[in-house]
Amino acid sequence: QEEAQAIDQELFTEYKFSVDQLMELAGLSCATAIAKAYPPSSFTTSQPAVLVVCGPGNNGGDGLVCARHLKLFGYEPTVYYPKCPNKPLFEGLTTQCQKMDIPFLPEFPAEAALIDELYGLVVDAIFGFSFKGAVREPFGSILGTLERVTVPVASIDIPSGWDVEKGKADGLQPDMLISLTAPKKAALHFTGRYHFLGGRFVPPALEKKYALNLPPYPETECVLQLA
Amino acid sequence: PWSSPQAFPLPSLPRKQPTVLVVCGPAQNGAIGLVCARHLRIFDYEPTIFYPKRSPDPLYRDFTTQCEKMDIPFLSYLPTEVQLINDAYNAVVDAVLGAEAEAGEGREPCAAILATLKHIRIPIVSLDVPSGWDVEAGSSGGISPDVLVSLSAPKQCARSFLGRQHFVAGRFLPYDVQKKFELNPPEYPGTECVVALRAPR
Repeated sequence: QEEAQAIDQELFTEYKFSVDQLMELAGLSCATAIAKAYPPSSFTTSQPAVLVVCGPGNNGGDGLVCARHLKLFGYEPTVYYPKCPNKPLFEGLTTQCQKMDIPFLPEFPAEAALIDELYGLVVDAIFGFSFKGAVREPFGSILGTLERVTVPVASIDIPSGWDVEKGKADGLQPDMLISLTAPKKAALHFTGRYHFLGGRFVPPALEKKYALNLPPYPETECVLQLA
Repeated sequence: PWSSPQAFPLPSLPRKQPTVLVVCGPAQNGAIGLVCARHLRIFDYEPTIFYPKRSPDPLYRDFTTQCEKMDIPFLSYLPTEVQLINDAYNAVVDAVLGAEAEAGEGREPCAAILATLKHIRIPIVSLDVPSGWDVEAGSSGGISPDVLVSLSAPKQCARSFLGRQHFVAGRFLPYDVQKKFELNPPEYPGTECVVALRAPR
C-alpha cells in the first residue's frame, strides 16, 4: 500500500502530472476493459444498463470518468454518488456526467434483487488503494447489498472493503478487477474471471525504479488482460 | 495521440529506430503536441520534441516537465538542412499552429519552422489544422501533410486536405454539444477514440 502511495506521490510531485490527467486515463481504462469483457451486445437486460457506485475519494472519481466513457461506448450508466467531496475536480466530473444525461440515483436500491433486475453490471468505484480501517456508512450497507447481487461486479483497483494487501475472504468477490498502474498485493486474492491492467501512463523510469515489471500492453491499447 | 500510431504502425516504419519529430508551437496546438509526444513514448516510439517558444501557462509547463521526465529529448534548434530531418526521423508531427492561430503564422519562430517543413520529404501528421493554412480557406502554398488529425470536428480547411489519411478525434464531445453545432460525427468503432474518414479522392 505504501509503495502504491509513493508511486502516486512521485507522479504528482516529480513528474507533475495533475490528478485530472491521470484520473481521466484511469477512468477511460476502466470503461475500455469493461467494454472488452462485457460488450453491450452481451447484456440480457433490454438496455446495456450499468450501475456505477462511487465512493468519497479518488476511486469514486475514477468511477465518474468511467461512467462518462461507458456512455460514449454505448452503455446506459446510472451513478450512485452519496458523498461527493466539496472540490472542483469532483463537482466538475459530476457535471460532465449530468450533461451527458447520466442519471444520479437519489438513493441506493434497497435490495440486491432490484439491482439484478435493472442492471447487467455493477461498477464498484467505492474504495481504492488508500483505503484503511473501518468502512463508514453508507458504504457498509452498500457493500452488504453488493455482496448479494448476482450480476457481475467490476471493481476499480481494489475490491472495496478489502484490505489493500491481504484481501477479504468474506467480502465482495467481484467478477472483474481493473488494476490501475500496477496490480496491488490484494490482487493475489482475486478469484474472478477478468483481471485487467489499466492506467497506461507509467513513465519508463518510474517503472524501473519500483521494479514494477509490467507486461507490455498491446499496440496502442490502454488496457491489458492479465492471465 | 492514438492516430499517429494508427497511420504509422511501428512495424511499418522505414527507419530502424521508431523516431518521430514533434514540432510544437507556442499555444494550445503545441501543448497537444507535448501530450502526443508523451503517449508516443509510452507506445514505444522514440519522439524528439522541438519546442522553441515555451508557453508560460502552468498546465503546459507541466506537460513539458512530464515529457522531460519521460526522457524525451528537446532539440535546441531545428536544422534548416532538410536532409538531416529526412534522415533522422520517420515522420514529423506538426503541432505548430491550430485553429486559433491568426497572426501566428507570420511570426518567428513559426515562419522559419514552416519554411523548413515545406521541404521535408518524410510524412507530416498535422494536428487539427495544417500549420500555416487559413483555418477556413485552406492552403496557399503551405505544408502538405500526409495525415490530418481533426480535433473535435474537421475544420473548414480540411476540405482542401489531399493527404493519405484523415482522422477525427472527437469521441469525448458531449451529445448536446454535437447536436448544438450540428457536427454529425461518424461512428467510432468499438472503444476507439479516433476514426478514419473516407480518404480524399
